[in-house]
Amino acid sequence: MSAAAVILLLTAFAAGVTGAWSPCGFSMVQTLGSARARRGARAVHASCATFAVGALAGGAVTFTALAAIGEALGGAGSGASLAVAVAIALLAALGEALGVRVVPQIRRQVPEPWRRTLPLPLAAGLYGVLLGLGFTTFVLTLAVWALAGIAVAIGSLGAGLLIGLGFGAGRALPVVLMAPRYATLGQRLELAMAERPALLRRLRLADGALLAALALAFLAGGSASAARIVAIHATDPSAAGGALAFERVDGAGAVLLEGGARSELPARLVAIGGRFVATGDRHAIAVRERVSGAIVVVVPAPGATQLAVSDRWLVWRADRPGGGDRLWALPLPLARARPAGSAGVARLVAGGTGARAAIDRPALSGDRLAYAVTAQAGSRIVVANLAMRRRRVVLSARRALLAQPALDGDRLLFVRSSYCAQRLELTSLRAPRRARVLLALGTTAKRDAGHEPGYTSQGSEPSRCPRGTPRPTDRTLWTTALSGRDAYVTLLRPGAGRTPAAARIVRVGA
Amino acid sequence: MPDRQRRRLSDALAGGTSRRGFLGRAGGWLLATAAGTAALQVGIEDADAHHYCGHTYTTGSCPHPTGIPRVDVHGYPLRARDGHPVDDLGRPIDRAGHPLDAHGRRLTDPGGRPLPPAPRSRVCQDGVPDRYGFHTQIDGSWYRCCGGKVRRLMDCCAYHRTRINGDEALTGYCYSGRRVFCVMYFQTNVPC
Repeated sequence: MSAAAVILLLTAFAAGVTGAWSPCGFSMVQTLGSARARRGARAVHASCATFAVGALAGGAVTFTALAAIGEALGGAGSGASLAVAVAIALLAALGEALGVRVVPQIRRQVPEPWRRTLPLPLAAGLYGVLLGLGFTTFVLTLAVWALAGIAVAIGSLGAGLLIGLGFGAGRALPVVLMAPRYATLGQRLELAMAERPALLRRLRLADGALLAALALAFLAGGSASAARIVAIHATDPSAAGGALAFERVDGAGAVLLEGGARSELPARLVAIGGRFVATGDRHAIAVRERVSGAIVVVVPAPGATQLAVSDRWLVWRADRPGGGDRLWALPLPLARARPAGSAGVARLVAGGTGARAAIDRPALSGDRLAYAVTAQAGSRIVVANLAMRRRRVVLSARRALLAQPALDGDRLLFVRSSYCAQRLELTSLRAPRRARVLLALGTTAKRDAGHEPGYTSQGSEPSRCPRGTPRPTDRTLWTTALSGRDAYVTLLRPGAGRTPAAARIVRVGA
Repeated sequence: MPDRQRRRLSDALAGGTSRRGFLGRAGGWLLATAAGTAALQVGIEDADAHHYCGHTYTTGSCPHPTGIPRVDVHGYPLRARDGHPVDDLGRPIDRAGHPLDAHGRRLTDPGGRPLPPAPRSRVCQDGVPDRYGFHTQIDGSWYRCCGGKVRRLMDCCAYHRTRINGDEALTGYCYSGRRVFCVMYFQTNVPC
């Protein structure tokens, strides 16, 4: 969990606890606590449990729904949405520091008759839901409104759920803590809360401090869905552990960033994986130990255009005679045992037969190789086990472009493009269809109005993009890398004619 | 009468010539002609009440990568503005499928290689089944004059009871019990 996520959770929890000072908060403690004498301790404990479950559910519903609205509105993950989240957090923090009155205020309370007409555990559960929903009763801190705005601005369902659960837990905790011990601890705390408003003031100051910390965390590390530039004039990222390698767009070599050190590599192609770094040009590929720099193998690779390396394999892409691409694989332990460049060791793993197809940059993780194949009839991402000589199509699409895979264990990062949007998606090889969108951009194509000039739009609806689709862009989501919680993607502005391509690498939370 | 206005008038006349009620509409047009220019203007507006020239009913377009459902003779998508081939991402492409910039030059990656082609599917025969999950095909078609060129109006047919826009499906130019699901067109170079 990132720092921003932890602070988001704490802020939501504190905002929930602050709600204990509301008329409903006091009523809950008193209602459940005083039931002990009439209905016994078991009923009180059961009611506290249902209240907590209700509060968690209510919080999850409200803030996940707000996040879903943000996601539907589009722009989630953009710099603008992050700026909005930061501005909301800072404004609310200032308000809490100054102790301004909470506006807008919701002057409603939970239905009192439920405590008399319903079984207490059921009534407590329903009360919990209403309090957890957040906006059905009095709001005691600006943080509640701020968290709602932040949930929409971030537009991440995961973040929304996090806020909701934190808020629900905060609303439940005072009741669960005080009601079962109402005769002793509960009453004393209730009295202190009622007679010492400074406690509420301090809690609101804490809410404000957490909101300010949240704004700083957003600015420093970015939210879970925000992209952050890690290298300009750079492309083809490759990540392993804490290390990152990439190629310079201007042809001035490659760069390896590891442990705070930056190494310039005189190579046109670069990839890292396991303990190795592989560098190459259109004639040969050299594999070195990353730590010592000792050469493991040098392989002739005529026409190599991309490469990937792991502890066990070296894979490179080369042009296929007659068009299309091919992938070659070399087992590294074998290569060690034989003289560098021994012919016949590398084997063809893709692009050997069948229709001409474009193959994207390969990705390796252990024995697993991932690559994307695109032909006119569709695109697919294939994962092959090079040791077992087995392969399977993990994702395929008839009309969308599935491209640029990266592997980290059984996690797969890839780009999905349609005529409406480009998305950087993260999924698991065990359930590849359940992908999570890490970054979304608009399409690079220019769309027309859907109807001819002078005609109405009636009938053009099926070709329209859904609401919330990001605006068109001139950037293409290009090569990717994945390591731990960091996902990298190249934002490419393609070249044309004499205009060279421009590219930068951004990182998003995985 | 200026050429553009004449074309629009001919388009309107063609647009009003419904496949289902030619005689009835022809009678209406005779009356309109007799009533003079004002009545003709009404006719033009009637023909314009749909999203592209020649299409005179309320059926929606087949989903198309750039919007207006223009296709080539095989059913692959074309950019409506100029008839340039586009891929399924809506990008103009060359013969090999590589995407092009606004000046028709191949787009390139940082290494100078052309960007790889994306899938390109036939709008009716491939795209609609992929999105809606049932078989579709082109049966027959109808021709009208649009923009001074003959336009072939094509129905995408399926054994399906509703159209793409949810209304009840009609027979249109579909055969063997199939009905119209969505519509598209092929623009010929034949002057009219």
